Amino acid sequence: MIEVLRAGLCDLVMDLGRPGRRMLGVPAGGAADPAALAAANHLVGNDAAAAGLEIALSGPRLRFPLGGVAALTGARFAARRSSGAPVAWNETLVLAAGEVLTLDRPESGCRCWLALRGGLAVPSVMGSRSTFLPSGFGGHGGRALQAGDVLHCGVPTNEMKLLRASPPADEAEGDLRVVAGPQAGQFDDVGLAAFFGTPYRVDAASDRRGVRLAGTPVSHRRAELPSQGVLPGSVQIPPDGQPIILGWDGPVTGGYPVIAGVITADVPRLAQLKPGDAVRFVTIEVEAACELAAAQWTFKELA
Amino acid sequence: MGKQTTGQPLVASTCWRWVGERGLRVETGAMTLARYMLLISKNLTDVEDIIPADGSLLLILRRSARVSPEVRAALSAPLDVAQTAVKGKRHEIVVDYGGAAGPDLPALAKRAGMSEAAYIDCHAATEYTVAFLGFQPGFPYLQGLPPTLQAARRASPRQQVAAGSVAIGGRYTGIYPTDGPGGWHVIGRTHTVLFDPQRAAPALLMPGDRVCFVPA
Repeated sequence: MIEVLRAGLCDLVMDLGRPGRRMLGVPAGGAADPAALAAANHLVGNDAAAAGLEIALSGPRLRFPLGGVAALTGARFAARRSSGAPVAWNETLVLAAGEVLTLDRPESGCRCWLALRGGLAVPSVMGSRSTFLPSGFGGHGGRALQAGDVLHCGVPTNEMKLLRASPPADEAEGDLRVVAGPQAGQFDDVGLAAFFGTPYRVDAASDRRGVRLAGTPVSHRRAELPSQGVLPGSVQIPPDGQPIILGWDGPVTGGYPVIAGVITADVPRLAQLKPGDAVRFVTIEVEAACELAAAQWTFKELA
Repeated sequence: MGKQTTGQPLVASTCWRWVGERGLRVETGAMTLARYMLLISKNLTDVEDIIPADGSLLLILRRSARVSPEVRAALSAPLDVAQTAVKGKRHEIVVDYGGAAGPDLPALAKRAGMSEAAYIDCHAATEYTVAFLGFQPGFPYLQGLPPTLQAARRASPRQQVAAGSVAIGGRYTGIYPTDGPGGWHVIGRTHTVLFDPQRAAPALLMPGDRVCFVPA
Protein backbone atom coordinates (compact mmCIF):
# COMPACT_ATOMS: atom_id res chain seq x y z
CA MET A 1 0.00 0.00 0.00
CA ILE A 2 1.24 3.48 -0.94
CA GLU A 3 -0.12 6.83 0.20
CA VAL A 4 0.94 9.73 -2.01
CA LEU A 5 1.85 12.56 0.37
CA ARG A 6 3.24 14.75 -2.42
CA ALA A 7 3.07 13.97 -6.12
CA GLY A 8 6.08 14.30 -8.41
CA LEU A 9 6.01 16.08 -11.76
CA CYS A 10 4.66 13.00 -13.55
CA ASP A 11 4.44 9.73 -11.61
CA LEU A 12 2.85 7.08 -13.80
CA VAL A 13 1.85 3.49 -13.14
CA MET A 14 3.64 1.41 -15.76
CA ASP A 15 4.19 -2.21 -16.67
CA LEU A 16 5.62 -3.62 -19.88
CA GLY A 17 2.85 -2.08 -21.99
CA ARG A 18 0.26 -3.41 -24.40
CA PRO A 19 2.02 -4.52 -27.60
CA GLY A 20 -0.08 -6.16 -30.30
CA ARG A 21 -2.77 -3.46 -30.54
CA ARG A 22 -1.10 -0.96 -32.83
CA MET A 23 -3.54 -1.83 -35.62
CA LEU A 24 -6.16 -0.06 -33.45
CA GLY A 25 -3.93 3.00 -33.26
CA VAL A 26 -2.88 2.05 -29.73
CA PRO A 27 0.87 2.32 -29.06
CA ALA A 28 2.55 -0.35 -26.93
CA GLY A 29 3.44 2.25 -24.28
CA GLY A 30 4.74 0.82 -21.00
CA ALA A 31 7.91 1.64 -19.08
CA ALA A 32 10.31 3.84 -21.05
CA ASP A 33 13.10 1.43 -20.04
CA PRO A 34 11.29 -1.91 -19.79
CA ALA A 35 14.43 -3.77 -18.70
CA ALA A 36 14.92 -1.35 -15.80
CA LEU A 37 11.34 -1.88 -14.59
CA ALA A 38 11.73 -5.64 -15.03
CA ALA A 39 14.95 -5.50 -12.97
CA ALA A 40 13.22 -3.54 -10.18
CA ASN A 41 10.48 -6.17 -10.18
CA HIS A 42 13.05 -8.97 -9.97
CA LEU A 43 14.65 -7.28 -6.94
CA VAL A 44 11.34 -7.51 -5.05
CA GLY A 45 10.44 -11.00 -6.22
CA ASN A 46 7.79 -9.91 -8.75
CA ASP A 47 7.25 -11.18 -12.25
CA ALA A 48 8.90 -8.87 -14.81
CA ALA A 49 5.50 -7.67 -16.00
CA ALA A 50 4.21 -6.43 -12.60
CA ALA A 51 3.16 -2.78 -12.47
CA GLY A 52 5.41 -0.23 -10.76
CA LEU A 53 5.89 3.54 -10.85
CA GLU A 54 7.76 5.50 -13.50
CA ILE A 55 8.98 8.77 -11.99
CA ALA A 56 10.32 11.65 -14.09
CA LEU A 57 12.38 14.79 -13.30
CA SER A 58 10.89 15.54 -9.88
CA GLY A 59 9.83 12.74 -7.57
CA PRO A 60 7.02 12.15 -5.09
CA ARG A 61 6.87 11.70 -1.33
CA LEU A 62 5.32 8.32 -0.58
CA ARG A 63 4.21 6.74 2.71
CA PHE A 64 4.06 2.98 3.16
CA PRO A 65 1.60 2.43 6.07
CA LEU A 66 2.19 -1.33 6.09
CA GLY A 67 5.88 -1.19 5.15
CA GLY A 68 6.93 -3.38 2.28
CA VAL A 69 9.73 -4.44 -0.02
CA ALA A 70 10.72 -2.00 -2.75
CA ALA A 71 13.42 -1.40 -5.34
CA LEU A 72 14.56 1.55 -7.44
CA THR A 73 16.27 1.39 -10.82
CA GLY A 74 17.08 3.94 -13.50
CA ALA A 75 18.30 7.49 -12.86
CA ARG A 76 19.52 8.15 -9.29
CA PHE A 77 17.41 10.81 -7.61
CA ALA A 78 18.28 12.74 -4.48
CA ALA A 79 16.30 10.62 -2.00
CA ARG A 80 15.78 9.94 1.69
CA ARG A 81 13.91 7.56 3.96
CA SER A 82 12.23 8.66 7.18
CA SER A 83 14.02 5.79 8.95
CA GLY A 84 17.35 7.38 8.04
CA ALA A 85 18.38 4.21 6.19
CA PRO A 86 20.22 4.81 2.92
CA VAL A 87 18.24 4.77 -0.34
CA ALA A 88 20.27 2.40 -2.47
CA TRP A 89 19.54 2.05 -6.18
CA ASN A 90 19.49 -1.38 -7.89
CA GLU A 91 19.00 -3.17 -4.55
CA THR A 92 16.19 -4.79 -2.59
CA LEU A 93 14.97 -2.30 0.06
CA VAL A 94 12.98 -3.36 3.12
CA LEU A 95 10.67 -0.57 4.31
CA ALA A 96 9.33 -0.41 7.89
CA ALA A 97 5.63 0.14 8.56
CA GLY A 98 4.86 3.84 8.25
CA GLU A 99 8.10 4.65 6.48
CA VAL A 100 8.17 7.68 4.15
CA LEU A 101 10.29 7.66 0.98
CA THR A 102 11.04 11.06 -0.55
CA LEU A 103 12.44 11.40 -4.07
CA ASP A 104 13.52 14.88 -5.14
CA ARG A 105 15.42 15.56 -8.39
CA PRO A 106 17.62 13.25 -10.42
CA GLU A 107 21.36 13.61 -9.86
CA SER A 108 21.66 12.88 -13.57
CA GLY A 109 19.19 11.54 -16.14
CA CYS A 110 15.43 11.87 -16.06
CA ARG A 111 13.49 8.74 -15.03
CA CYS A 112 13.54 6.07 -12.36
CA TRP A 113 11.34 3.05 -11.66
CA LEU A 114 9.98 1.97 -8.30
CA ALA A 115 8.77 -1.59 -7.85
CA LEU A 116 6.87 -2.78 -4.82
CA ARG A 117 6.51 -6.41 -3.77
CA GLY A 118 3.19 -7.73 -5.08
CA GLY A 119 3.01 -5.10 -7.83
CA LEU A 120 0.58 -2.18 -8.03
CA ALA A 121 -2.97 -3.55 -8.20
CA VAL A 122 -4.64 -1.22 -10.68
CA PRO A 123 -7.12 -2.59 -13.23
CA SER A 124 -5.77 -4.03 -16.44
CA VAL A 125 -7.07 -2.07 -19.47
CA MET A 126 -6.54 -3.62 -22.90
CA GLY A 127 -4.15 -6.15 -21.45
CA SER A 128 -1.93 -3.77 -19.47
CA ARG A 129 -1.77 -1.69 -16.29
CA SER A 130 0.29 1.03 -18.02
CA THR A 131 -0.99 4.61 -18.00
CA PHE A 132 -1.68 6.04 -21.46
CA LEU A 133 -1.95 9.77 -20.77
CA PRO A 134 -2.89 10.99 -24.28
CA SER A 135 -6.21 9.13 -24.17
CA GLY A 136 -6.51 8.99 -20.38
CA PHE A 137 -6.76 5.27 -19.74
CA GLY A 138 -4.80 2.60 -17.88
CA GLY A 139 -2.75 2.97 -14.72
CA HIS A 140 -4.32 4.93 -11.85
CA GLY A 141 -7.47 6.32 -13.47
CA GLY A 142 -5.62 7.14 -16.69
CA ARG A 143 -3.65 9.97 -15.05
CA ALA A 144 -0.47 10.83 -13.17
CA LEU A 145 -0.54 10.39 -9.39
CA GLN A 146 -1.84 13.20 -7.20
CA ALA A 147 -1.40 13.96 -3.51
CA GLY A 148 -3.93 11.93 -1.51
CA ASP A 149 -3.97 8.97 -3.90
CA VAL A 150 -3.79 5.52 -2.32
CA LEU A 151 -2.47 2.57 -4.32
CA HIS A 152 -2.71 -1.05 -3.26
CA CYS A 153 -0.40 -3.93 -3.97
CA GLY A 154 -1.21 -7.41 -5.17
CA VAL A 155 -0.52 -10.59 -3.22
CA PRO A 156 3.09 -11.76 -3.67
CA THR A 157 3.31 -15.20 -5.23
CA ASN A 158 7.04 -15.69 -5.75
CA GLU A 159 9.82 -16.22 -3.23
CA MET A 160 12.22 -13.34 -2.85
CA LYS A 161 15.85 -12.81 -1.92
CA LEU A 162 17.84 -9.69 -1.11
CA LEU A 163 19.54 -8.87 -4.40
CA ARG A 164 21.72 -6.32 -6.10
CA ALA A 165 21.32 -5.66 -9.84
CA SER A 166 23.69 -4.33 -12.48
CA PRO A 167 22.51 -2.81 -15.77
CA PRO A 168 24.13 -3.88 -19.04
CA ALA A 169 27.47 -2.17 -19.71
CA ASP A 170 27.07 1.11 -21.58
CA GLU A 171 29.78 1.74 -24.16
CA ALA A 172 28.31 4.41 -26.42
CA GLU A 173 29.27 7.42 -24.25
CA GLY A 174 26.28 9.59 -24.88
CA ASP A 175 25.81 9.20 -28.62
CA LEU A 176 22.48 7.76 -29.67
CA ARG A 177 23.11 4.85 -32.02
CA VAL A 178 20.69 4.70 -34.95
CA VAL A 179 19.96 2.63 -38.02
CA ALA A 180 19.49 4.81 -41.11
CA GLY A 181 15.75 5.28 -41.66
CA PRO A 182 13.39 4.42 -44.50
CA GLN A 183 13.47 7.97 -45.92
CA ALA A 184 17.18 8.72 -45.30
CA GLY A 185 17.50 8.85 -49.10
CA GLN A 186 15.10 11.81 -49.29
CA PHE A 187 17.55 14.09 -47.48
CA ASP A 188 20.24 16.04 -49.27
CA ASP A 189 23.89 16.04 -48.21
CA VAL A 190 23.42 19.26 -46.25
CA GLY A 191 20.55 17.75 -44.28
CA LEU A 192 22.41 14.51 -43.58
CA ALA A 193 25.54 16.40 -42.56
CA ALA A 194 23.49 18.47 -40.10
CA PHE A 195 21.76 15.43 -38.61
CA PHE A 196 24.80 13.20 -38.26
CA GLY A 197 27.40 15.90 -37.71
CA THR A 198 25.98 18.45 -35.28
CA PRO A 199 24.64 18.18 -31.74
CA TYR A 200 20.96 18.75 -30.86
CA ARG A 201 19.51 20.03 -27.64
CA VAL A 202 16.49 18.40 -25.97
CA ASP A 203 13.59 20.87 -25.98
CA ALA A 204 11.36 21.50 -22.96
CA ALA A 205 8.29 20.39 -24.95
CA SER A 206 9.39 16.73 -24.70
CA ASP A 207 7.35 14.01 -23.05
CA ARG A 208 6.52 10.32 -23.45
CA ARG A 209 5.00 11.05 -26.87
CA GLY A 210 8.24 12.37 -28.26
CA VAL A 211 11.62 13.91 -27.53
CA ARG A 212 11.75 17.19 -29.43
CA LEU A 213 15.19 18.38 -30.47
CA ALA A 214 16.50 21.82 -31.43
CA GLY A 215 19.60 22.51 -33.49
CA THR A 216 20.77 22.84 -37.08
CA PRO A 217 17.66 22.34 -39.24
CA VAL A 218 17.70 19.10 -41.24
CA SER A 219 16.76 20.13 -44.79
CA HIS A 220 14.89 17.70 -47.01
CA ARG A 221 13.54 17.53 -50.51
CA ARG A 222 10.01 16.48 -49.54
CA ALA A 223 8.42 17.32 -46.21
CA GLU A 224 5.41 15.01 -46.23
CA LEU A 225 4.73 11.51 -47.44
CA PRO A 226 1.94 8.94 -47.10
CA SER A 227 1.45 7.96 -43.43
CA GLN A 228 3.61 5.01 -42.47
CA GLY A 229 4.00 2.88 -39.35
CA VAL A 230 6.51 4.21 -36.82
CA LEU A 231 7.76 3.00 -33.45
CA PRO A 232 9.48 4.46 -30.38
CA GLY A 233 12.91 5.70 -31.43
CA SER A 234 11.86 6.63 -34.98
CA VAL A 235 13.35 10.05 -35.75
CA GLN A 236 10.95 12.17 -37.79
CA ILE A 237 11.89 15.41 -39.51
CA PRO A 238 8.88 17.79 -39.72
CA PRO A 239 8.88 20.73 -42.18
CA ASP A 240 10.80 23.02 -39.80
CA GLY A 241 13.73 20.56 -39.87
CA GLN A 242 13.90 20.10 -36.08
CA PRO A 243 14.04 16.35 -35.32
CA ILE A 244 11.46 14.58 -33.15
CA ILE A 245 12.37 11.21 -31.65
CA LEU A 246 9.05 9.42 -31.18
CA GLY A 247 8.49 8.16 -27.66
CA TRP A 248 6.63 5.31 -25.99
CA ASP A 249 3.21 6.98 -26.15
CA GLY A 250 3.77 8.48 -29.60
CA PRO A 251 1.43 7.83 -32.53
CA VAL A 252 1.70 4.49 -34.35
CA THR A 253 1.67 6.19 -37.76
CA GLY A 254 3.40 9.34 -38.96
CA GLY A 255 3.47 11.43 -42.12
CA TYR A 256 6.94 13.00 -41.84
CA PRO A 257 10.09 11.46 -43.30
CA VAL A 258 11.93 9.15 -40.89
CA ILE A 259 15.66 9.81 -41.18
CA ALA A 260 16.80 7.24 -38.61
CA GLY A 261 15.68 4.83 -35.91
CA VAL A 262 17.27 4.67 -32.44
CA ILE A 263 18.39 1.09 -31.74
CA THR A 264 16.62 -0.89 -29.00
CA ALA A 265 19.76 -1.02 -26.84
CA ASP A 266 19.78 2.79 -26.68
CA VAL A 267 16.10 3.26 -25.79
CA PRO A 268 17.12 3.28 -22.09
CA ARG A 269 19.36 6.25 -22.89
CA LEU A 270 16.44 7.92 -24.67
CA ALA A 271 14.44 7.47 -21.46
CA GLN A 272 17.06 9.46 -19.53
CA LEU A 273 17.15 12.53 -21.81
CA LYS A 274 15.89 15.70 -20.18
CA PRO A 275 15.42 19.25 -21.46
CA GLY A 276 18.77 20.93 -22.13
CA ASP A 277 20.71 17.69 -22.74
CA ALA A 278 22.86 17.45 -25.88
CA VAL A 279 22.29 14.59 -28.32
CA ARG A 280 24.43 13.32 -31.19
CA PHE A 281 23.53 10.55 -33.62
CA VAL A 282 25.82 7.86 -34.96
CA THR A 283 24.82 5.04 -37.34
CA ILE A 284 25.42 1.34 -36.84
CA GLU A 285 24.42 -1.74 -38.81
CA VAL A 286 21.27 -3.72 -38.11
CA GLU A 287 23.11 -6.91 -37.17
CA ALA A 288 25.24 -5.08 -34.59
CA ALA A 289 22.09 -3.46 -33.17
CA CYS A 290 20.44 -6.89 -32.76
CA GLU A 291 23.46 -8.14 -30.81
CA LEU A 292 23.50 -5.08 -28.56
CA ALA A 293 19.77 -5.56 -27.87
CA ALA A 294 20.49 -8.97 -26.34
CA ALA A 295 22.44 -7.46 -23.39
CA GLN A 296 20.82 -8.28 -20.03
CA TRP A 297 20.75 -6.98 -16.47
CA THR A 298 22.61 -9.25 -14.01
CA PHE A 299 21.79 -10.03 -10.37
CA LYS A 300 23.66 -11.30 -7.34
CA GLU A 301 22.57 -12.10 -3.82
CA LEU A 302 23.42 -9.61 -1.09
CA ALA A 303 25.57 -11.22 1.61
CA MET B 1 26.87 7.66 -42.78
CA GLY B 2 23.22 8.15 -43.53
CA LYS B 3 23.17 5.58 -46.29
CA GLN B 4 20.13 3.40 -46.77
CA THR B 5 20.34 0.19 -44.78
CA THR B 6 18.62 -2.50 -46.78
CA GLY B 7 20.84 -5.56 -46.33
CA GLN B 8 20.31 -8.51 -48.61
CA PRO B 9 17.10 -8.68 -50.63
CA LEU B 10 14.29 -9.78 -48.35
CA VAL B 11 12.04 -11.11 -51.05
CA ALA B 12 12.56 -10.54 -54.71
CA SER B 13 9.56 -8.36 -55.47
CA THR B 14 9.22 -6.44 -52.21
CA CYS B 15 10.59 -2.98 -51.47
CA TRP B 16 11.50 -2.78 -47.80
CA ARG B 17 13.49 -0.62 -45.38
CA TRP B 18 14.57 -0.83 -41.74
CA VAL B 19 13.05 1.43 -39.08
CA GLY B 20 15.48 0.89 -36.22
CA GLU B 21 16.57 -2.76 -36.04
CA ARG B 22 13.13 -4.01 -35.01
CA GLY B 23 10.95 -2.28 -37.61
CA LEU B 24 10.63 -3.62 -41.13
CA ARG B 25 8.77 -1.25 -43.47
CA VAL B 26 7.36 -3.10 -46.46
CA GLU B 27 5.77 -1.44 -49.51
CA THR B 28 2.39 -3.09 -50.06
CA GLY B 29 0.48 -0.55 -52.18
CA ALA B 30 -3.19 -1.32 -52.71
CA MET B 31 -2.71 -4.79 -51.18
CA THR B 32 -1.82 -3.41 -47.72
CA LEU B 33 -4.85 -4.69 -45.88
CA ALA B 34 -4.87 -8.03 -47.68
CA ARG B 35 -1.18 -8.57 -46.88
CA TYR B 36 -1.83 -7.53 -43.27
CA MET B 37 -4.62 -10.12 -42.97
CA LEU B 38 -2.40 -12.82 -44.44
CA LEU B 39 0.52 -11.98 -42.10
CA ILE B 40 -1.75 -11.94 -39.03
CA SER B 41 -3.21 -15.33 -39.99
CA LYS B 42 0.30 -16.85 -39.89
CA ASN B 43 0.82 -16.06 -36.17
CA LEU B 44 4.49 -15.31 -36.80
CA THR B 45 6.36 -15.89 -33.54
CA ASP B 46 9.15 -13.39 -34.30
CA VAL B 47 6.69 -10.57 -35.00
CA GLU B 48 5.40 -8.53 -32.02
CA ASP B 49 3.02 -6.33 -33.96
CA ILE B 50 2.12 -5.12 -37.46
CA ILE B 51 0.97 -1.60 -38.37
CA PRO B 52 -0.99 -1.19 -41.60
CA ALA B 53 -0.67 2.33 -43.04
CA ASP B 54 -0.95 4.22 -46.33
CA GLY B 55 0.48 1.73 -48.84
CA SER B 56 2.93 0.12 -46.44
CA LEU B 57 3.12 -2.21 -43.46
CA LEU B 58 5.49 -1.91 -40.52
CA LEU B 59 6.40 -5.28 -39.02
CA ILE B 60 7.78 -4.91 -35.51
CA LEU B 61 10.09 -7.79 -34.66
CA ARG B 62 10.59 -9.07 -31.13
CA ARG B 63 13.73 -7.85 -29.38
CA SER B 64 16.88 -9.37 -30.96
CA ALA B 65 14.79 -11.35 -33.51
CA ARG B 66 16.11 -11.67 -37.07
CA VAL B 67 13.98 -11.80 -40.22
CA SER B 68 13.00 -15.47 -40.24
CA PRO B 69 12.30 -17.68 -43.27
CA GLU B 70 8.64 -17.74 -42.13
CA VAL B 71 8.44 -13.94 -42.31
CA ARG B 72 10.08 -13.91 -45.75
CA ALA B 73 7.66 -16.58 -46.95
CA ALA B 74 4.63 -14.71 -45.59
CA LEU B 75 5.75 -11.47 -47.28
CA SER B 76 6.10 -13.15 -50.68
CA ALA B 77 3.17 -15.60 -50.46
CA PRO B 78 0.60 -14.93 -53.19
CA LEU B 79 -2.67 -13.31 -52.12
CA ASP B 80 -5.84 -15.03 -53.23
CA VAL B 81 -8.77 -13.08 -54.62
CA ALA B 82 -10.93 -13.53 -51.53
CA GLN B 83 -8.21 -12.02 -49.32
CA THR B 84 -7.82 -8.95 -51.53
CA ALA B 85 -11.50 -8.03 -51.16
CA VAL B 86 -11.72 -7.22 -47.45
CA LYS B 87 -15.25 -5.91 -46.84
CA GLY B 88 -16.04 -4.86 -43.32
CA LYS B 89 -19.12 -3.57 -41.57
CA ARG B 90 -21.06 -0.52 -42.75
CA HIS B 91 -21.52 2.35 -40.28
CA GLU B 92 -23.69 5.47 -40.44
CA ILE B 93 -22.29 8.34 -38.42
CA VAL B 94 -24.48 11.35 -37.64
CA VAL B 95 -22.61 14.66 -37.91
CA ASP B 96 -23.37 18.26 -36.89
CA TYR B 97 -21.67 20.08 -39.75
CA GLY B 98 -20.37 23.65 -39.56
CA GLY B 99 -20.90 26.31 -36.90
CA ALA B 100 -18.99 25.86 -33.64
CA ALA B 101 -18.72 22.12 -34.35
CA GLY B 102 -16.98 22.71 -37.70
CA PRO B 103 -14.97 25.95 -37.56
CA ASP B 104 -12.97 25.24 -40.75
CA LEU B 105 -16.00 24.52 -42.98
CA PRO B 106 -16.45 28.09 -44.33
CA ALA B 107 -12.81 28.42 -45.41
CA LEU B 108 -12.69 24.92 -46.93
CA ALA B 109 -15.94 25.44 -48.87
CA LYS B 110 -14.70 28.79 -50.15
CA ARG B 111 -11.41 27.26 -51.27
CA ALA B 112 -13.31 24.48 -53.06
CA GLY B 113 -15.50 27.11 -54.75
CA MET B 114 -18.64 25.66 -53.19
CA SER B 115 -21.33 26.78 -50.80
CA GLU B 116 -21.12 25.28 -47.31
CA ALA B 117 -24.29 23.32 -48.06
CA ALA B 118 -22.80 21.89 -51.25
CA TYR B 119 -19.58 20.94 -49.44
CA ILE B 120 -21.61 19.13 -46.75
CA ASP B 121 -23.74 17.35 -49.37
CA CYS B 122 -20.65 16.19 -51.19
CA HIS B 123 -18.94 14.98 -47.97
CA ALA B 124 -22.07 13.11 -46.87
CA ALA B 125 -22.85 11.63 -50.31
CA THR B 126 -19.71 9.49 -50.35
CA GLU B 127 -19.19 6.01 -48.89
CA TYR B 128 -15.74 5.87 -47.33
CA THR B 129 -13.52 2.92 -46.51
CA VAL B 130 -11.37 2.73 -43.37
CA ALA B 131 -7.84 2.42 -44.77
CA PHE B 132 -6.08 2.16 -41.41
CA LEU B 133 -6.15 3.50 -37.84
CA GLY B 134 -3.42 5.77 -36.50
CA PHE B 135 -2.50 9.11 -34.91
CA GLN B 136 -4.75 8.44 -31.89
CA PRO B 137 -6.28 5.16 -30.66
CA GLY B 138 -9.24 4.48 -32.93
CA PHE B 139 -8.58 7.40 -35.34
CA PRO B 140 -9.78 6.21 -38.79
CA TYR B 141 -8.12 7.30 -42.01
CA LEU B 142 -11.13 7.23 -44.35
CA GLN B 143 -10.39 6.95 -48.04
CA GLY B 144 -12.70 7.95 -50.84
CA LEU B 145 -12.73 11.72 -50.21
CA PRO B 146 -13.76 13.46 -53.48
CA PRO B 147 -10.76 15.40 -54.92
CA THR B 148 -12.65 18.73 -54.74
CA LEU B 149 -12.89 18.37 -50.94
CA GLN B 150 -9.23 17.52 -50.37
CA ALA B 151 -7.03 20.08 -48.59
CA ALA B 152 -3.48 20.02 -47.20
CA ARG B 153 -3.30 20.07 -43.41
CA ARG B 154 -3.48 23.34 -41.51
CA ALA B 155 -0.21 25.29 -41.47
CA SER B 156 -0.24 25.31 -37.68
CA PRO B 157 -2.02 22.57 -35.72
CA ARG B 158 -4.68 23.43 -33.13
CA GLN B 159 -3.69 22.80 -29.52
CA GLN B 160 -7.11 21.35 -28.79
CA VAL B 161 -9.50 19.53 -31.09
CA ALA B 162 -12.65 18.13 -29.47
CA ALA B 163 -13.38 14.40 -29.41
CA GLY B 164 -15.80 13.51 -32.22
CA SER B 165 -14.50 16.19 -34.57
CA VAL B 166 -14.88 15.21 -38.23
CA ALA B 167 -11.98 16.57 -40.22
CA ILE B 168 -10.19 16.76 -43.57
CA GLY B 169 -6.46 16.02 -43.94
CA GLY B 170 -5.01 15.70 -47.43
CA ARG B 171 -6.67 12.82 -49.28
CA TYR B 172 -8.43 11.61 -46.15
CA THR B 173 -11.34 12.45 -43.95
CA GLY B 174 -11.17 11.27 -40.35
CA ILE B 175 -12.73 11.51 -36.89
CA TYR B 176 -10.83 12.46 -33.71
CA PRO B 177 -11.74 9.89 -31.01
CA THR B 178 -10.08 11.88 -28.18
CA ASP B 179 -9.60 15.53 -27.20
CA GLY B 180 -6.11 16.67 -28.14
CA PRO B 181 -3.94 18.60 -30.57
CA GLY B 182 -4.64 18.16 -34.27
CA GLY B 183 -3.70 19.62 -37.64
CA TRP B 184 -6.69 18.64 -39.80
CA HIS B 185 -9.49 20.97 -40.92
CA VAL B 186 -12.50 20.45 -38.64
CA ILE B 187 -15.84 20.53 -40.50
CA GLY B 188 -18.22 18.97 -37.99
CA ARG B 189 -18.69 16.80 -34.92
CA THR B 190 -20.33 13.50 -34.03
CA HIS B 191 -21.51 12.17 -30.66
CA THR B 192 -20.59 8.63 -31.70
CA VAL B 193 -17.93 7.17 -29.39
CA LEU B 194 -15.12 5.99 -31.65
CA PHE B 195 -12.85 4.49 -29.03
CA ASP B 196 -13.58 3.05 -25.59
CA PRO B 197 -10.78 1.03 -24.00
CA GLN B 198 -13.32 -0.75 -21.77
CA ARG B 199 -15.25 -2.21 -24.72
CA ALA B 200 -14.47 -5.73 -25.91
CA ALA B 201 -13.80 -4.15 -29.31
CA PRO B 202 -12.33 -0.76 -28.28
CA ALA B 203 -12.23 0.74 -31.78
CA LEU B 204 -15.67 1.26 -33.39
CA LEU B 205 -14.22 1.38 -36.90
CA MET B 206 -11.81 -1.24 -38.23
CA PRO B 207 -9.73 -1.29 -41.40
CA GLY B 208 -11.95 -2.43 -44.26
CA ASP B 209 -15.15 -1.06 -42.65
CA ARG B 210 -17.30 1.34 -44.69
CA VAL B 211 -18.55 4.67 -43.33
CA CYS B 212 -21.32 7.05 -44.40
CA PHE B 213 -21.87 10.44 -42.78
CA VAL B 214 -25.42 11.59 -42.13
CA PRO B 215 -26.06 15.33 -41.53
CA ALA B 216 -27.87 15.83 -38.19
